[in-house]
Amino acid sequence: MITFEAVTKRYPDGTVAVDELDLEVPAGKTVVLVGPSGCGKTTTLRMINRLVEPTHGTILLDGTDIKERNPAHLRRGIGYVIQQTGLFPHRTVEDNIATVPVLNGWPRKKARGRADELLTLVGLDPALAKRYPHQLSGGQQQRVGVARALAADPPVLLMDEPFSAVDPVVRASLQDQLLSLQAELRKTIVLVTHDIEEAIKVGDLVALFRPHGKIAQLAPPEELLAAPVDDYVADFVGFDRGIRRLSFVSTTGLNLDTSPLLPAESTVADALASGRPWICVTNAKRPVGWVDTATLGALPGDTPLRQVQAEPIGHSFTAGTDSLRAALDAAVLSPAGLAVAVDGDGSVLGVATFEQLRSAIQKGATQAADNGHGKQAREVQHAQEGPLP
Amino acid sequence: MMWSWISTNGSLIWQLTWENIKLGVLPALYGLVISLPLGVIASRWRWFYPPALTVINVLYAVPSLALFIALIPAFGLTDTTVIIALTVFSLCVILPNVVAGLRGVPAAVTQAATAMGYGPLRRLVTVELPLAVPVILAGLRVGVVASISLASVGQLIGVSSLGYLFIDGLQRSFPTEIYVGLVLVIALALVCDLILVAVKRALTPWAARPERQRQRRLRQLTEVAP
Amino acid sequence: MSFFNWAWDWVTTDANWHGSGSIPQQIVAHLGYSALPLVIAALIGVPAGVAIGHRGGKGAVVVINIANAWRAIPTLGLLILLAVFLGFSPVTWLVPLVVLAIPPILVNAYEGVAAVEPSVRDAAVGMGMTPWQQVTRVEFPIALPLILVGLRTAAIFVVATATIAAYIGLGGLGRFIIDGLASNEYGPVAGGALLVVILAILVLALFAGLSRLVVPAGLRKQAKTE
Repeated sequence: MITFEAVTKRYPDGTVAVDELDLEVPAGKTVVLVGPSGCGKTTTLRMINRLVEPTHGTILLDGTDIKERNPAHLRRGIGYVIQQTGLFPHRTVEDNIATVPVLNGWPRKKARGRADELLTLVGLDPALAKRYPHQLSGGQQQRVGVARALAADPPVLLMDEPFSAVDPVVRASLQDQLLSLQAELRKTIVLVTHDIEEAIKVGDLVALFRPHGKIAQLAPPEELLAAPVDDYVADFVGFDRGIRRLSFVSTTGLNLDTSPLLPAESTVADALASGRPWICVTNAKRPVGWVDTATLGALPGDTPLRQVQAEPIGHSFTAGTDSLRAALDAAVLSPAGLAVAVDGDGSVLGVATFEQLRSAIQKGATQAADNGHGKQAREVQHAQEGPLP
Repeated sequence: MMWSWISTNGSLIWQLTWENIKLGVLPALYGLVISLPLGVIASRWRWFYPPALTVINVLYAVPSLALFIALIPAFGLTDTTVIIALTVFSLCVILPNVVAGLRGVPAAVTQAATAMGYGPLRRLVTVELPLAVPVILAGLRVGVVASISLASVGQLIGVSSLGYLFIDGLQRSFPTEIYVGLVLVIALALVCDLILVAVKRALTPWAARPERQRQRRLRQLTEVAP
Repeated sequence: MSFFNWAWDWVTTDANWHGSGSIPQQIVAHLGYSALPLVIAALIGVPAGVAIGHRGGKGAVVVINIANAWRAIPTLGLLILLAVFLGFSPVTWLVPLVVLAIPPILVNAYEGVAAVEPSVRDAAVGMGMTPWQQVTRVEFPIALPLILVGLRTAAIFVVATATIAAYIGLGGLGRFIIDGLASNEYGPVAGGALLVVILAILVLALFAGLSRLVVPAGLRKQAKTE
């Protein structure tokens, strides 16, 4: 646990980077410091490992004032990841990762073994161990940077805009990797970013900074979206925060309608008899497509539905695990205006109408959302084939 | 220190200084004139540069006295020998700077110029070379200062310069003369250096001061740290 | 006859290889007169340059100015001045050679360390390295290519200046040149010059090999752009 008590950083020329900051970072949680350029978030981060010394105030790490600790030893117990990676160009990937263990006195062979473990942990091929940093792509270098920070298994991890220098596809992949690492390792992470989306995706708590080093709001991401404390926060968070907040609302207990579902063996006549304007055709319980019954009139009544031209589903949502935002998106994309719900195996469970979604939204607005960030990560649905970027 | 000697031999001193100026400045200018086209070639046709650089490194390793001596059979014990040798050395210093200067022009700038319709020659003369001036002039400064100083070695093969004062001073065990020679050579070199710095500032009114920027960055990073 | 003819004739004359003051003797002497000042200058210049590069700040400004001032000093004049006052003793040639060899070593060591990417230095500090560890494990290895360039420049400079120092009585290959000039025999002059050139080129080759041996593969890609 990290505690800031009335911490101020004032530079000799008068600029105040951090202003009487009080902040508590709970152990095992990810706290994201987010805000505009120059708001003091990076300075705050760098005060934790004493790269910057506060002008006033105290910073406690697990109850001890960090000023009382030898800086070099303090830093060996804190992982540090920066935007430009800072990988040592004169050392192989493996030796880069092994740096802190070797500093701590581990034999080189043991340290390299650990490095190989970490390569796998961050999603890299261990064959990269003997390469040099300049031979890796930007995304790979960032992963090595994270591996290096984790090598000595520090309880605390500091990350300064770690994913800002890579393109959006790589960035999303790295963020997902971080979430799954955190689910497994439960480190205390302080991450600085200027990207509010990243903060919401990755953080257990988000500290939104005002310019000149004061915190405007410190809250879990869904609270930031649901109840911004003032206009500054609301503006920073962005205008469609209502819909984005739905990412945190669960689809458990959503009422589903099974009447528009018909297996592919059914006929046109069955479809017309159902009285529904749209029919969802299924095959072996999987959703195949939507059929507009208004277009069926010209066809012979005994034509099996599998022979009828169907419109694509768009995407479905997994009832119970996907969020309401995914369900809403599915409904919007569906030509029928109905969201198709499937279970964990992909078998169709039913459809949700806009009305059903609407009442779920209203219920969600008042109830506490039951969720972890696993929901958001799963929504991203990136199939990771081949080498990671 | 016999000040009277200086006033008595004023004209000799002036003549030797003038000789030294010629032997220092001309080679550097010739070196520049040769380096510019070579440098343009090297920055356009990349394959040309590494072998050129190897040749330069070897030439620059040749001690000045040895190069003077090697040129004697062809050019005699004359100014020409010294000037040619010092031109070669200046070339060795200036060419890499021409190449570095041209390569240092941001790709975005050259692309923008091309996109706006500049032909290659015009772009070179009006965009790339001006932007390369600081680096090229840095090389020229080194070339001039080194040539002024090395010219005195030419005295060992009888080519007149302020080096004469060293030789004569040693032969007569007369320190005053040697002091005068040292002071004048160093002063000459520094004056030329300052003139070239002023020329650079005049030619590049847009330039920031790079050293200050790097200082600022380094200061921020090493703020309190270790 | 050309320079090479004169030099070749003289070098291949067997008599020159025997007796006192022979070619092998002077080669060895020259190596000694070059190596000793170089080693001393390296022991002073490398740590100083690395330390100033690591700390940054005011020291950096001093280093830059040293670099510029150094080339202005005429070595012949300096050697002669010391000879007039101290006669011919080890101090007369050793001290100026050491002092003059330090600047290229110092400046390049400084530049090498100062050029280490700020993010790399930040990472080294942030990971918990003490200043000593930062320098020895990160900054020095990364600066090594430039440090070697500085040593190479100094080595060549020392070989050249030791040649000139023959004028104030030092042995070595310069002996052939100076004595030959005094007695108007171009043979030893050319021969001595050729040998010095070969020696200088061998020094270049030595450093090229050293660089390949000592610089890690990861840095060679960067080193090529120097």
